[in-house]
Amino acid sequence: MKKLLSLSLVASSLLLADTDLEQLKKQMDKQQLIIQKLQEKIQNLESEKLSSEQKRIQKLEAIIAKQEQRYEEKTPKQVVLNTAGSSSSFSQSAFVPNISLILDTSYVSRNKEDDIVSNLNVPGVVNGLLGTTADGDSTFNANNGFNFNYAEMAISSSVDPFFRMDAIFHIREDGVEIDEAYFTSTALGYGLRAKAGKFRSNFGYLNEKHHHQLNFGDVPLVYESFLGIHGISEIGLQLQWTAPTSTYLMLGAEVLQGNNARTFGNKSIGDAENPVAKASTAPALLVAYAKSSVDIGDTTVFGGISYANGSARVDNGSSVFSGDSSLYGADLLVKHYFDSYSSLTWQSELLMRDMDGKDYNLNDDGTVFGNQDLRKKQSGLYTQLIYGINQSWKIGAKYDTIYQNDVIRDAVNQNLPSSLNKYSAMLEYQTSEFSRFRLQYNRNETLYSGDGKKQNINSIILEANIAVGAHGAHSF
Amino acid sequence: MRLLLLLLPLSLFANLNIAVSYPYIGAIVKSIGADKINTIVLAKGNWDPHFIIPRPSLISKVRNADGLVINGAQLEIGWLPALIKRAGNPKTNINAKTFLNLSNYVNLINKPQSVDRSGGDLHPNGNPHFHLDPNNILILSNVIKEYLSSIDMDNAELYKKNYQTFAKMWKNKIKFWNEKMIDKKGFKVIQFHNNLAYFLKAYSLKNIGTIEPLPGIPPSSRHTMDLIKLIKTEKPFCILHDVYHSTKTAKYISSKTGIPVILMPHDIKALDSIDDLTSLFDYLTDAIK
Repeated sequence: MKKLLSLSLVASSLLLADTDLEQLKKQMDKQQLIIQKLQEKIQNLESEKLSSEQKRIQKLEAIIAKQEQRYEEKTPKQVVLNTAGSSSSFSQSAFVPNISLILDTSYVSRNKEDDIVSNLNVPGVVNGLLGTTADGDSTFNANNGFNFNYAEMAISSSVDPFFRMDAIFHIREDGVEIDEAYFTSTALGYGLRAKAGKFRSNFGYLNEKHHHQLNFGDVPLVYESFLGIHGISEIGLQLQWTAPTSTYLMLGAEVLQGNNARTFGNKSIGDAENPVAKASTAPALLVAYAKSSVDIGDTTVFGGISYANGSARVDNGSSVFSGDSSLYGADLLVKHYFDSYSSLTWQSELLMRDMDGKDYNLNDDGTVFGNQDLRKKQSGLYTQLIYGINQSWKIGAKYDTIYQNDVIRDAVNQNLPSSLNKYSAMLEYQTSEFSRFRLQYNRNETLYSGDGKKQNINSIILEANIAVGAHGAHSF
Repeated sequence: MRLLLLLLPLSLFANLNIAVSYPYIGAIVKSIGADKINTIVLAKGNWDPHFIIPRPSLISKVRNADGLVINGAQLEIGWLPALIKRAGNPKTNINAKTFLNLSNYVNLINKPQSVDRSGGDLHPNGNPHFHLDPNNILILSNVIKEYLSSIDMDNAELYKKNYQTFAKMWKNKIKFWNEKMIDKKGFKVIQFHNNLAYFLKAYSLKNIGTIEPLPGIPPSSRHTMDLIKLIKTEKPFCILHDVYHSTKTAKYISSKTGIPVILMPHDIKALDSIDDLTSLFDYLTDAIK
């Protein structure tokens, strides 16, 4: 008897629950109808586009939102069918990658005319450093007056559970260049990360950074003269491993094609059938590095050593160099934080270049009239101090130098100038995270004219860097 | 020898390593996980939670984590993605089951009607500082209990027990704080940035203005003058100020209007005396007198 009673109790409670559920469902259906009607009303109202109606729309939307919320609260486990959005059934707009555009433009005033500046050399290091040089390459802030440095478009997104993709285009007045376009693994595990495509090498500290992340409007002298304004930016493969230690330790290696016009290169130079410098086997450039970091209270110390080795094919116009190059780098960054917006950063990098090979002297018609064994041992560094005063203001100074410049032709040191210095100072103001204005002064004492006379260049640069869109967070 | 210890893989020390973005999350994880979980907090409590410096040491912390719990609602957008990218750890990828975004489990308020950066540095999903409503801490501790149980089923019973103990304690505290705040209902306040929105909502206080003219935009003299006018007509009770912005402008406004500036910690260790979640809310509910 007891059993029967309890059974029937259970049954009736189940039934009750059932009817409860049905009532709830009916209520929901009603609400769904109301919502639909309200939505229709809104659509009608919207099509009229009367500003007086917009307030009403907002009210109605608020009501809908409330009802929807109640609806959700009451029925957490119910599936809500929504047919209203069927017109966008095949729309993929939700998958639009993050897109950002960063504009960099400047006003420059120099003590020398553009034509003079672009024909100056750092003797034995590079022919044409500043301005628009003979090979058509131009540096940032190249000309007196206004400069449009670039509009940088960055696109990034996950590809699938295994990869993500990033691409950065520099849109300049004379065309578009692919600064980077690569995909990265996200699921390898064990602290491993692989990257393939065209990318900036992680050699040193600064090589990987884009121009808008720099604290000065120009790339440091050692980078600019040894590698050009894009640094080691190559097609290839990168593998990095973060060690499973509590102290940050990262090891990385890269196999790259080797297309740097100033230090590395693999392509033949000269007549295709009988070239002055024969092509070397590609990929022709290997890069390896180790980086580590420790925190001491509110101070972070971050340092690394880097090495790059590859074949070198350098076309200097009147001569062609063919051989091998090695590049050694050491970097150290010390950053102390006073609070969330104020910090002092001391950043330095040392680069040493060793080029070994043959230099072929060319006639005007491109025929070879002589050659020498050529060894270039050149070293330089930059060191800079940046004080972030608060959210809006930053102030900084930088010292650049090439202190070793041994160019040895057939065992004879050419005794080229070996104390080449550059001094910079800057003041930066941000109206928000997205717009930055920088006033910079440079004194460049590294440049010589064709007749071997030293030409000091003073520049004042007022630069604006403006960003819109979804730009990914920067690493340290 | 010390160096050798330093280089030893962290995973040798058994327990699960759960990395969390902010100290308050660490405190909840510690309450539920107890000695079964190593909690690794990435950000410091006295920093602006929007601007955490992505120090390389944090990459190692993410790299060695068995899971990652974040606040979400784009509060970490400026610093955490770079760390996750570098860490090469599938367990901290956003779609891993060991990745937890807390903002998915609370109702966000202040969602902007339209998102455009001329309106300042907006959070498109709504105000992300939801942990300053003590009722949300209760919800989040339940979520974290479920999360820990799902990745470490062996200790699920323990996590449940710890949660029940925590919830019971916390509910009593909520009652206590409610009683303390009951006569503050309807008080008007000024803030630097609207990071106390959830706290104010919980106790029916009303924010009538912020010292920054728009989110993320530093104070301007014109806006400050307007604010002083507003204070003179609306007569708010005080200026509630975070610990990481300069109080210079607030003090100036205070000197012109006579209303006090009250420092409000937003997280554990935002002020030295704030050691845990309870002392955080004790302090906040004490501050407004």
